[in-house]
Amino acid sequence: MIDITFIQPDGSQKTVAAKAGHTIMETAQAHGIDGVIAECGGSMACATCHVFLDDIALTAAGPASDSEDDMLEFAATPRADNSRLSCQVTVTDALNGAQITIPETQF
Amino acid sequence: MNAPFDGAASGCPMAAASADFQPFEHRGMYEFLAKIREEVPIFHAPEIDYWVVTRRADIEAIMPDSDRFTAVLTTQPIFPWPQETLTYLQERKFAHEAIQVACDPPLHTRVKNHVTKFLNIRQFMSYEPAIRELARSYVQKLKGQETVDLVDAVTYEYPAQVVFMLLGVNDFDPRQIKKWGDLRLHMIWGRPEETDFEQAARDLADFWDYTVDLVAPRKADPKDDYPSKMFELRGGDDEVLTENEIRSLVFGLLLAGHETTTNAAGNLILELLKRREQWRAIAQDPALAKNAVEEGLRYATSVVAWRRRAKEPVTIGGVDLPAGANLLLSLASANRDPALFEEPETFDIARKDARNHMAFGKGLHHCVGAPLARLELRILLEELTAAFPEMRLAEGAEDTDFTKTLSFRGPAQLRVHLGPYKEQDA
Ligand code: HEM
Ligand code: FES
Repeated sequence: MIDITFIQPDGSQKTVAAKAGHTIMETAQAHGIDGVIAECGGSMACATCHVFLDDIALTAAGPASDSEDDMLEFAATPRADNSRLSCQVTVTDALNGAQITIPETQF
Repeated sequence: MNAPFDGAASGCPMAAASADFQPFEHRGMYEFLAKIREEVPIFHAPEIDYWVVTRRADIEAIMPDSDRFTAVLTTQPIFPWPQETLTYLQERKFAHEAIQVACDPPLHTRVKNHVTKFLNIRQFMSYEPAIRELARSYVQKLKGQETVDLVDAVTYEYPAQVVFMLLGVNDFDPRQIKKWGDLRLHMIWGRPEETDFEQAARDLADFWDYTVDLVAPRKADPKDDYPSKMFELRGGDDEVLTENEIRSLVFGLLLAGHETTTNAAGNLILELLKRREQWRAIAQDPALAKNAVEEGLRYATSVVAWRRRAKEPVTIGGVDLPAGANLLLSLASANRDPALFEEPETFDIARKDARNHMAFGKGLHHCVGAPLARLELRILLEELTAAFPEMRLAEGAEDTDFTKTLSFRGPAQLRVHLGPYKEQDA
């Protein structure tokens, strides 16, 4: 089991069982998590799948690519050091127990 | 009514759909799609030799899949142009390159990475005050009038003026850009007559020349606009972007950036005024405008169909297609697919999942202008509902005609009674 907790801007939380190999974006969509819009369907073209990672997830995720880094600059909620595009982070066992925070707005 | 889609009634539903479908006629289109979608996920349209795909799930899988489906045909003429036209364009040094919506990776990826440095939500938001001022200036011009055609008075020009903001142009007639844009749509997505070509080729070449002249000075004298940003990123390196690619991007924006939004605004206002209680609701609570825009894009989008071509043999909706098969993805149909939307045929600005529409496509080509279109439409709606809360359609306006192209749908006119003007708080 890989448990991932999504935290909404209003503080409400939902923990879901993620599948290794999916992205965090796909995980959120599969479990009906609000706020991960993912308009471009994971093509790194929209930045509407922006999320904030906790330390567990940051370590597990590794660094963002240059193009992801560029796209993050255009996210509707300004990026922070722990920002990632959730379509670019693949779920692994190391993500078990991670907390992912959804930004205030994606558009 | 509905005569256009009342043909072959018996026999195989797929064959009947083929016989009934009229690719260039928008009246009756949604009723037709609703009737066939359940039984006919795909059918052939002989007049244009395209396979029309009707279901959301299939379309959603095809659009992002650039391995199996190419986008190179998306801006090619449905009916090929005569050789003389092509020769003439060559002589006039018409050199537009398909490097954006009508190309595949890796070219698409290289170009898009640069484009989104300017065409992105942050940059668009920086124009919000200017766009609002523009919308208000149109409202001011309406003031004191009784009955107007909103297309002519507002929605035709407004998005073109916003494109000019992005391009740093403030000395050009928006009507000329619109005329050139309409022409490009007609020549590519329409069914041009033989007699159209001579004039069309001349106008197209003039349009290109205009683009070249617009872009050229930005090289030596950059401003804070789109072409200047592209020159900055280019840094003199053809491997990043060539100068002709920059011209092509601007030429692309001079079409993509306004035709779609003009039509979307017209469609949205028309649907709202058909249900005046929803118009009044927005006038009372402008916070509803945002979702109303989404519902407008879902229920009556301006890009009703978009194209792809199979690169290898594929199976869609149970039908085996060979490599090279042309596909017409009905975004209009996807947006009303009951597999995704409850009561899909109901227009409801409070619909919770309105935003799940596919008006802007899906995947790598997902519309880069989407946040801007949304911003323009929301601001326009806020300003119009606030100023004219009692606006209503003029007699017969519901039966407006639509532009006759394969992909683009928008009312040709939108005659309304404005009603009393409501003064705004400062
Ligand atoms: C309501 C208005 C609009 C609609 C319905 C619309 C729709 C679309 C659609 C369906 C696509 C193709 C998606 C695909 O192939 O997957 C697209 C692409 C595109 N749109 Fe829009 N669009 C609108 C407004 C705009 C605006 C305002 C701009 C410019 C600022 C714009 C610029 C573009 C560009 C550059 C592309 C090509 C993107 C790529 O291939 O990477 N669009 N749009
Ligand atoms: S889904 Fe569009 S960038 Fe991640």
